[in-house]
Amino acid sequence: MKNLLYKEFRLVVSPLYFLTVLFGALLLIPQWPYFIAMLYLFFFIVPNVFANAKAINDTGFTMMLPIRKRDAVKARVISVAALELAQVVTAVPFAFLNMSVYPRGNMLIDANLAYLGCVFMMYGIFNVIFFPMFYKTAYMLGWPLALSIAGATLFAFAVEALTAAVPAVNHALDGISGGALIRQLPVLGAGMLCYALLTALAYRKSAANFEKVDL
Amino acid sequence: MEILSVQNLCKSYANFSLKDVSFSLDSGYIMGFIGANGAGKTTTLKSMLGLVRKDSGKVRMFGRDFDQNELDLKQHIGFTLGGVDYYAKTPIKRITEVARRFYDNWDDSVYRSYMARFRLDESKRPAELSHGMRIKYSLVLALSHQARLLLLDEPTSGLDPVARDDLLELFQELIENGERSILFSTHITSDLEKCADFITYIVNGRVVESRAKDELLDAYRLVKGTGEQLGGVAPRLIACKAHSFGFTGLMKTADLRQEDALAAEPPSLEDIMIYHAKREADYEKPAV
Repeated sequence: MKNLLYKEFRLVVSPLYFLTVLFGALLLIPQWPYFIAMLYLFFFIVPNVFANAKAINDTGFTMMLPIRKRDAVKARVISVAALELAQVVTAVPFAFLNMSVYPRGNMLIDANLAYLGCVFMMYGIFNVIFFPMFYKTAYMLGWPLALSIAGATLFAFAVEALTAAVPAVNHALDGISGGALIRQLPVLGAGMLCYALLTALAYRKSAANFEKVDL
Repeated sequence: MEILSVQNLCKSYANFSLKDVSFSLDSGYIMGFIGANGAGKTTTLKSMLGLVRKDSGKVRMFGRDFDQNELDLKQHIGFTLGGVDYYAKTPIKRITEVARRFYDNWDDSVYRSYMARFRLDESKRPAELSHGMRIKYSLVLALSHQARLLLLDEPTSGLDPVARDDLLELFQELIENGERSILFSTHITSDLEKCADFITYIVNGRVVESRAKDELLDAYRLVKGTGEQLGGVAPRLIACKAHSFGFTGLMKTADLRQEDALAAEPPSLEDIMIYHAKREADYEKPAV
């Protein structure tokens, strides 16, 4: 797997793609739906990774190597997960900066720990829709992207709507006080767990789908 | 020693199927895998390597089942499906740097010697290489990890005659020590006349012949006769072409009788290919 990841980052995933982490700075925009900042990864970078891989016939080369088909899927899932994790981790300092710059909070969900937990969940939802759908053909990108972005966006919209409309959800997810942040730690943990489980599931389903693809 | 064995390989698509494809290849030989475009050559190679999911059949390499020993066996084989059509704008040096990590037996000195011999410049990108040079680069990758079985899909198509001859000579040189074998698909039969020891001929997804080249050529005769003679021999012909002077057809040598009084001569591989394809086409022709 180490060699396949080396291949991913040497030949397919340009280091420039990691500049996506700069979208974390969008958390400094006052009074804004902060989930959008984390969705840019799916608008620009993920489509580019897959379209580029297709353009350079990465599969043609990878399948010549002494690996199994599912190993190629795992390497690609890990590569995208690396981009996602880089995006969330870089968002952390901007989230804290947001909380200190805007002490009165955000009109929608604050850029707090619960928000970061929900971002993890949102990324997990994207992965579990996108990867298995894409690996049914390993070349058709449009529908898997459209539906997975729609799924992630709907999740973000639901979180925002419930936070605004349901006091109990608002209590659990919103707020930037010390007490609120401690209250949100389980949400962050649940989000990370959810991300890990959904991404692992995405890999398993994708690998099974890719095994059936005739290249 | 048997280096490759394919038994009853089947794969069905909506409009095409491989039917019980079987053949085997011993160490130290070159096998030409011939057939018309769309006959199933690439599908067979891909099914053998697991790139296409076969419906049934067994593939053994070096005496071991491919499905159960895929990772290990891939360390000892080299295959190209249509040359280097990947990473067109990436310098070769970088592609090699990635590829070499995957092989336990990678030998840098072998890599350097073949790169020098083929005059391949590592700073070039695949897009800057001719088709022939790209094929050679893919061979360098296969040879550098000491592959003992080379599976090459149409390596000579698109090459000029000089480059083709050069490549065929290289194939012969590669098997000289008796430890390596090459299976290469082609629809250019003259390639095989120059260098193949064995021929496997596939028509419409079915192996029609798989045997030593000389044996195969001996097994058929190209016969010529008049229109009147055609009626008597037609059932024994593989296929024939009628013309104003009579007919020309292909017949199994065993089916040829003295009393037929036909002009018979050894066929070329191309003749065998053409008449078998014609027979298949005649069978498939819808009744009017």
